[in-house]
Amino acid sequence: MTEHLPILIVLAPLLGAVFAALTSWFWPRVSFPIVLAGLAISCISSLLLVFEVPASGVIHYQLGGWGKQKEYADMVVGIQISVDYLNGLILAAVTTIALLTAIYSRPTVERELEGQQRYFYALFSLLVAGLLGITITGDIFNLYVFMEIAALSSYALLAYGKKRATMASFNYLIMGTMGACLYLLGVGFVFVKAGTLNIENLSQIIPDSLFSSQAAFVGFVLIIVGAWSKMAFFPMHGWLTNAYTYAPTASGALLAPLATKVSVYAMLRIMITVYSIDYIIQSPNIQTIAILLSTIAILVGSFYSLTQTNLRKIACFFIVSEIGYMVGGAWLANAPGLKGAIYHVVADAAMTSAIFMVIGCIIYRLGQADLKKLDGLYYRMPVTFIALVITMAALIGVPPTCGFFSKFYLIQGAAQAGTWHFVIALLISSLIKAIILFRIIEIAYNKVPNPAKDGNETIPREEAPLTMLIPTALVALGLIALGLATDTLVTDFIAKALPAGLTS
Amino acid sequence: MEEIVPKFNYIVVVILMMTGLWSMLAQSNLIKKCIGMAIFQTGIILFFISIGAKNNASIPIVAKEPLGQVLGQAHAPEGSQPPAKPELAAAKAKVYPDPPDVNKLTNPLTQILMLTAIVVGVATLGVGLALAQKVYQQHNSFDEDEILENQTK
Repeated sequence: MTEHLPILIVLAPLLGAVFAALTSWFWPRVSFPIVLAGLAISCISSLLLVFEVPASGVIHYQLGGWGKQKEYADMVVGIQISVDYLNGLILAAVTTIALLTAIYSRPTVERELEGQQRYFYALFSLLVAGLLGITITGDIFNLYVFMEIAALSSYALLAYGKKRATMASFNYLIMGTMGACLYLLGVGFVFVKAGTLNIENLSQIIPDSLFSSQAAFVGFVLIIVGAWSKMAFFPMHGWLTNAYTYAPTASGALLAPLATKVSVYAMLRIMITVYSIDYIIQSPNIQTIAILLSTIAILVGSFYSLTQTNLRKIACFFIVSEIGYMVGGAWLANAPGLKGAIYHVVADAAMTSAIFMVIGCIIYRLGQADLKKLDGLYYRMPVTFIALVITMAALIGVPPTCGFFSKFYLIQGAAQAGTWHFVIALLISSLIKAIILFRIIEIAYNKVPNPAKDGNETIPREEAPLTMLIPTALVALGLIALGLATDTLVTDFIAKALPAGLTS
Repeated sequence: MEEIVPKFNYIVVVILMMTGLWSMLAQSNLIKKCIGMAIFQTGIILFFISIGAKNNASIPIVAKEPLGQVLGQAHAPEGSQPPAKPELAAAKAKVYPDPPDVNKLTNPLTQILMLTAIVVGVATLGVGLALAQKVYQQHNSFDEDEILENQTK
């Protein structure tokens, strides 16, 4: 049974989506439990596998038994899926966050999508299956297919929102399809030169014989640009803020942390495994451009977040700047930079999930999340407020939380590479997040006189329902736990995920 | 002319893709954007099919008899082979120490891949048109600028 765990991670949510869609016709009440069961199976199998990786090495699984063919020099013929040090962690993060978000989303879906929630959970599960497929697959064309599965379900999930959501989702569709098509074209270039689509085989063929090939270089650039437009990297970030702001709470809470991070993973996989770090070091022009663009992304995201008053929009601009962290860290192409980038994929998935969950709780009770109307939030929803403060502390990078450690590695990497503009951008973005945190505290805590004292108006405590509050609190506490577990994570997983040449 | 003829398929592909990309990004009409998307995807499909095609090659079914005799040359698909590069030959020699008679067979993999890509393309176009229709119901217009104006009102 355990040898089939890798495929179960993807299959459980995929089948969950199918059955949820079918049962929604005649027995709509069971579609949510079916999806929940699928996600739980997926979560358990990924957690089991992650801890198996350091014990028994990289796990490969051949779909349909079409594995390595000895007569063709160990070429993998079929589709191979694999769990290694890089994607094991991300699988665990994606499945856990998806499960918690599913539990969390129930009350908001019932309220916001009353009467039209029939296919919501089927799409939810399909999206998770797509994201997990991107993460686990060992085949670059298969990655494209899963990318489109995830993208198609996310267009639908985002379009569930009110008025402006439809147009925002359409813009996302155009940008997303463009990105996916560029990726596919790049895969074509790689296939022409290397003759295989398997990542394991490509990682041997490309460094051996295709380093000076121009077609392979064009393929690389196309794939990277495709991944960039999927992850809303600056200058292609325009679709993200509107799409996630106007989406239903549940869609936003699922998509914002996972969809962009998984695209970052796809880029990391192409950079580290398929083309190897030496390839990036030997093409310094594109490296300089990437780091410069990520610097601009960090600054643009941070400064725009200052101009907004809608908390969700602020969080969306945070995503734009966080993407800059990860892309910049990856393109530094040295050990601390890559460690920071990989660690930040996991950490940022948790942080974004936490902030969107908190905002969802606020919207559930107050009906909106306008920064200026949050007065008395501390007295009204104390747990939510504390979770918000922890999340913002993590985003700023306050020591016990995970945000501190990723920034630590990123700054170390940037200093080693001598790209000081990237360091400055990181610090400025921290500073701006601190400003926003203090604005929130100012409004939510100080603006209203303490209701406990005599003579002041009392404010009733009205937290969000427990099914929303508990996942929110868990993810917020998870931020601190991740930070405390940094040492284990980095030495046991992330350091081993780095290519062999980089060990310092 | 000698430059153009062997690369004719790639030129067509590039023209198609650029038309599609321009229509996707520069047109303000939502339906035209969808059409551009379809053209762009068609260009990529054509690219993949043309890299898999070979002159005078037959369908890729391995038989004991030589394929040309079994099927006749009538089944040979048209198309030109991408120019062979030395590093490609080196890579091929490395990974296929004992190659089967691949010059007589078209590459089946690109066609399979494109079968999947066509399905993905149709699905994307469907979702795109559905969203465009929903936008039209809200704003009574397909024009991006008018919709933006409507939204900010």
